[in-house]
Amino acid sequence: MADAELKQKVEELIAANPVLLFMKGTPEMPRCGFSMRVVQVLDSLDVEYGAIDVLPALQPLREVTTEISDWQTFPQLYVKGELLGGADIVEEMFDSGELAEALGVEQPEAAPAAASAAAPPAQSPPLQIE
Amino acid sequence: MMPSSEEIKRRIESAIPGAEAHVEDYTGGGDHFRATVTAPAFAGRSRIEQHRLVYEVFGSEIGGPIHALSLKTQVPG
Repeated sequence: MADAELKQKVEELIAANPVLLFMKGTPEMPRCGFSMRVVQVLDSLDVEYGAIDVLPALQPLREVTTEISDWQTFPQLYVKGELLGGADIVEEMFDSGELAEALGVEQPEAAPAAASAAAPPAQSPPLQIE
Repeated sequence: MMPSSEEIKRRIESAIPGAEAHVEDYTGGGDHFRATVTAPAFAGRSRIEQHRLVYEVFGSEIGGPIHALSLKTQVPG
């Protein structure tokens, strides 16, 4: 059962920010390869977005987003109040031009190249320390 | 208990009718996987709904024993 107060706060944030990213770390310093990929996609589209670092409250936020969107992993990108997806969906929609359309921005001309540049190198896994 | 690519493939295919899954161990470490899943059940669903169908198979194992499961879903062409 998610914390009711936190859930309400998250719902307000989603409602107040047309483009909102829940991520591990910050856009300036992402702390997870998947979060970094979404930041790079959003930056290449030159779109304004709010970003929330989930790391200080990872488990409570996981419980909240599971209740709100039935999704428990981060990053999560919300557009106009709806969960669009995590890194896989965001990248796939970026490559196809659907993301630019959903965000109401122009697809950059070199989109496919930008996408591969955004995930350097495509085959290397996110860093992990365990 | 670390799952294997083979086990992840089998669980996806047995949980989603008609699904075909290709799963690879992304890091070789048994905790980051990439799966491409093709299933008739995805037809008419948004990507997020398609991904939910697959993630539901594993529930809280995602983020636990399965550190990350990267997904690509498609409807059979």
